[in-house]
Amino acid sequence: LDVLRPGCHLYPFNVTIRSDRRGTCQGSRTVFACVGYCESITFPSRYSVLLASNFTRSITSASRCCTIRQVAKVKVRMECPRDYHYDDIEILTAQACRCDMCRKSRY
Amino acid sequence: ASTVNLQSFIGCAVREFRFTARKPGCRALQITTDACWGRCETWEKPVLDPPFVESHQRVCTYNETQLVTVRLPDCAEGVDPGYTYPAALRCDCGLCATTTTECVTSV
Repeated sequence: LDVLRPGCHLYPFNVTIRSDRRGTCQGSRTVFACVGYCESITFPSRYSVLLASNFTRSITSASRCCTIRQVAKVKVRMECPRDYHYDDIEILTAQACRCDMCRKSRY
Repeated sequence: ASTVNLQSFIGCAVREFRFTARKPGCRALQITTDACWGRCETWEKPVLDPPFVESHQRVCTYNETQLVTVRLPDCAEGVDPGYTYPAALRCDCGLCATTTTECVTSV
């Protein structure tokens, strides 16, 4: 799978769920994450930004990050030995991705 | 010199940037400097536990800088003609540090 390309794309990965530590019942399936390379640029701040920040924020970073735009619930079917039963488990998968606000990249 | 295809470029690099240095009491000055531009790897992935999404966000920002001071033309009497801005020596994918950086979403 070619992930080394600009943009923000669905990327499959495997999830395995166990009913207990021993894995008496377990199920797995492929779901999707969003992985990609979105544009960002950092440059000297405008004078208004310098003034407002008391000249501490000398640079401005305008960026976008690869985010999940839409999720869906999917079922994981749990396989058990005879005489055991475990209900299906619902987990989330990404359905659509986009380059959007970087909400968690600042500190 | 090798040419880089910006459409498909992945990573974070020094790139020429033009801006207008302006402050009250002086005439504006066009400046060409080195800033940072690129595409950093970012992702979001659904997980089983709250908050149900794990994310990895980085932006292309200054790693090593050099302060440059220029003289703005035609400043009013008593106005310091000096205008100082950071030029990028090295760029890297990293977090957006709000102590030194105005972090915004690009459009």
